[in-house]
Amino acid sequence: MRERRQAEPYKIKMVEPIRMTTRSEREAEIEKAGYNTFLLDSDKVYIDLLTDSGTSAMSDNQWAGLMLGDEAYAGSKNWHNLWRAVEEVYGFKYMCPTHQGRGAEHLISQILIKPGDYVPGNMYFTTTREHQERAGGTFMDVVIDEAHDPQCEHPFKGNVDLDKLEALIKRVGPDRIPYVSVAVTVNMAGGQPVSMENLRAVRELCNHYRRSDGRPIRVMFDATRCAENAYFIKEREPGYRDRPIREILREMMSYADGCTMSGKKDCLVNIGGFAATNEREVYEKLTQLVVVFEGMPTYGGLAGRDMEAMARGIYEMVDDDYMAFRIGQVRYLGQQLIDAGVPIVRPVGGHAVFLDARAFLDHVPQSEYPAQALAAALYVDSGVRGMERGNVSAGRDKEGKERFPKLELVRLTIPRRVYTASHMDVVADSVISLYEQRKSIGGLKMVYEPPQLRFFTARFEPVKREGFWAFAEG
Amino acid sequence: MPSLAGTAQTGEEEAGWWPEAEPFKIKVVEPIRRTTRAERERLIQEAGYNVFALRSESVFIDLLTDSGTAAMSDSQWAGLMVGDEAYAGSRSFYRLKEAVADVLGFPLVIPTHQGRAAENVLFTTVVRQGDVVPNNMHFDTTRAHLEYRGAVALDLVAPAAYDPVSDLPFKGDIDLGRLEQALADAAAGRIRVPLVLITTTCNSGGGQPVSMANLRAASELCRRHGVPFFLDAARFAENAYFIKLREPGYRERSVREIVREMFSYADGCTMSGKKDCLVNIGGFIALRDPELYRRATVWAVLFEGFPTYGGLAGRDMEAMARGLEEVVDEDYLAYRIGQVAYLGRRLRELGVPIIEPVGGHAVYLDALRLLPGLSREELPGWALSVELYVEGGVRAVEIGTVLAGRDPATGQNRYPALEMVRLAIPRRVYTRQHLDVVAETCRRVHERRGTVRGFTFEHEPPVLRHFTATFRRLG
Repeated sequence: MRERRQAEPYKIKMVEPIRMTTRSEREAEIEKAGYNTFLLDSDKVYIDLLTDSGTSAMSDNQWAGLMLGDEAYAGSKNWHNLWRAVEEVYGFKYMCPTHQGRGAEHLISQILIKPGDYVPGNMYFTTTREHQERAGGTFMDVVIDEAHDPQCEHPFKGNVDLDKLEALIKRVGPDRIPYVSVAVTVNMAGGQPVSMENLRAVRELCNHYRRSDGRPIRVMFDATRCAENAYFIKEREPGYRDRPIREILREMMSYADGCTMSGKKDCLVNIGGFAATNEREVYEKLTQLVVVFEGMPTYGGLAGRDMEAMARGIYEMVDDDYMAFRIGQVRYLGQQLIDAGVPIVRPVGGHAVFLDARAFLDHVPQSEYPAQALAAALYVDSGVRGMERGNVSAGRDKEGKERFPKLELVRLTIPRRVYTASHMDVVADSVISLYEQRKSIGGLKMVYEPPQLRFFTARFEPVKREGFWAFAEG
Repeated sequence: MPSLAGTAQTGEEEAGWWPEAEPFKIKVVEPIRRTTRAERERLIQEAGYNVFALRSESVFIDLLTDSGTAAMSDSQWAGLMVGDEAYAGSRSFYRLKEAVADVLGFPLVIPTHQGRAAENVLFTTVVRQGDVVPNNMHFDTTRAHLEYRGAVALDLVAPAAYDPVSDLPFKGDIDLGRLEQALADAAAGRIRVPLVLITTTCNSGGGQPVSMANLRAASELCRRHGVPFFLDAARFAENAYFIKLREPGYRERSVREIVREMFSYADGCTMSGKKDCLVNIGGFIALRDPELYRRATVWAVLFEGFPTYGGLAGRDMEAMARGLEEVVDEDYLAYRIGQVAYLGRRLRELGVPIIEPVGGHAVYLDALRLLPGLSREELPGWALSVELYVEGGVRAVEIGTVLAGRDPATGQNRYPALEMVRLAIPRRVYTRQHLDVVAETCRRVHERRGTVRGFTFEHEPPVLRHFTATFRRLG
């Protein structure tokens, strides 16, 4: 039987016009941008699926909050409201705002990591790993093996492999592990969730192995998409079907000692983040370091109005109807692609559909950046902007060699509350049409490579200029 | 150099120093609440006699800072509505880039979430451990960033800056002799100087301006030694207006022209948009050198965000672009500088001791002369900040012993040369009537100075104690 369609649990209050371009304009634009979708100007993009970060449509209630910004340097009302929201929804005792998630990661890495430490985590994320390594730590991937297999239908592909984690703890000792970093959901694996059972087990393992000061090993969440993770637990994990997301989220957070949060994702804001902790000493260090890099502890580099919008977004993100629609919309796009036989990461994750570029362009070797090429081709075909998450994003290891990750993906990230099902249909049509003509898409070579986080600003050229855009006009 | 008591100050009167009324009308208001004296006594006691711990709704007039507290214009608020939140290639970024090129003359810009982030990105790019960075006076966060990476922050402001009653027109000028010495040391390989900074206006020196002649000469010295020259440009427009008023040859030049000339001497700048870009959040680095730009973007991505948003919402770049165009409006600047000068003049008339001359963004009360009955150990600056709140609900910040902290070696309080309370005036927020309340509050505290009691620490945190310390009133 045909599944009943669901509609958005909101109506549109304000719009932003977008513009379609011609195929020849787009060919010129992508060349100008060095075949890197990051370098395209936004007014040349029709449907922008580069990121779900900071791109949300805020609610009228959040916009009203912007008007109530209290820009006092100290004691701002908005800071108190944000503090209360974090306390009530997440359950952490202390909170320090930052301008966005990487600001919080930077502070937490600098405070907790010592040179020579190891930071186990369920798959790397670009900026997170960079901050951990700059603080002198070494990132150790302890995600389950299934996470690296795009076709495996595991319901919780973000889970921590407890054996890998325990082996690392035994090998290096608890004192050299400042914290276990658990991302909920795991972005680089395709927005894959972590189960409650797994979070609980990580907590127990970390409680079991005490540091020499008698404390358990710390567990820190990258909580960026924690509400989406909570929804997957509700949907997939026995015993959670009838519990509200808000309760599930509280239970998840109860297994952590703190978290970093990019408010630009689940908190439904365009700017903002925070670090939260249950430890008084960590909070005190946060308040000292935040002044240097972000701003006073009572505003952390945010306008008062942005703290207010984030506080309001925190309550909105745990709305069950909203979250059901959100996950449903991503799945709607994914299902169309699956039905057409397009290789994507399975199961569909929380915030994005990931095209498996290695399978999609199996005639392009990974050294020619198939995901980068596919993202460029998608833009030329329909003005849809996606993002490479493969060899370019993975960067080079300490020996300077390319990392050639198992996952070579194009991420089609869905901004929250911004696009309709009709927009999703346009995206699906374009991807399916490209898949039918995939042999006409060639590889790329890198002609400019920045030393860090190269994917943002690297430039490329086609390996074979002739016939690079051989696919037919859509 | 001429004294302000002579020609320059008279000139300022002639140049429309105190305009009759604000060059804007009010479009949106934010209610503030009067409290009773008894309420305030209770609230400040609950706050541990620390104004930082007061909730902002307990404050009637908030002069804690001029940073991020400006009232934006209707055009800037409209800009918030057209912010382009695209992660890459946002329209709002290009608007900001155009405004920076138009007003400051720099072709390249990297947005950052605020000024200290611009410093962090720039210094991570060019400053190494053991380097020496000269400046007229480093602001706290600038110094903190340099010291955090093991560099030395060298203050080379001309000596008059440290004299509270000297009223020279450009007390922010850098000491060119000492700058030349530092550059010569660098040339001889004795020290490494990766860049020279000048802060306009000089915040730590009381918002005192730097003359065009000084900028030109410093730039020339740097060029001769091949060292990049940067401005900390947070209050650049206020500085430009002082040049127009006080420096020979600039009276007939537009502020826009003066600004362009100031920046023409620099290789780049760091900017806290929360001051002279009239926004609540935002900052940037502006540059000429594409190679330095490319290196700095790498760090910008790590600390701030992608180079076309730099840790700001698109809407905030849009508001900053519009603010940059608004701040060089001469009517606005005449009003702005005039408003601060007005408060200074009122206090002078009422016999309240202040630091001279009055700078661009704040009036500084001289707590040692205002509360002469208190010894340094009784924390007169802190006591004054508490009494201003109790008397009139006015919140101001102590810049004295509590802020200076303890000497890490001896554990003793570091008593700075001056014990001050800063009354920082947010831009376009308060009216002349509000400033009259502030002046009257100061007068009343001064009048009852014989009965004002000192303070001692109750709880003293080890670092940045002023933010969270609690105090006890002495008997």
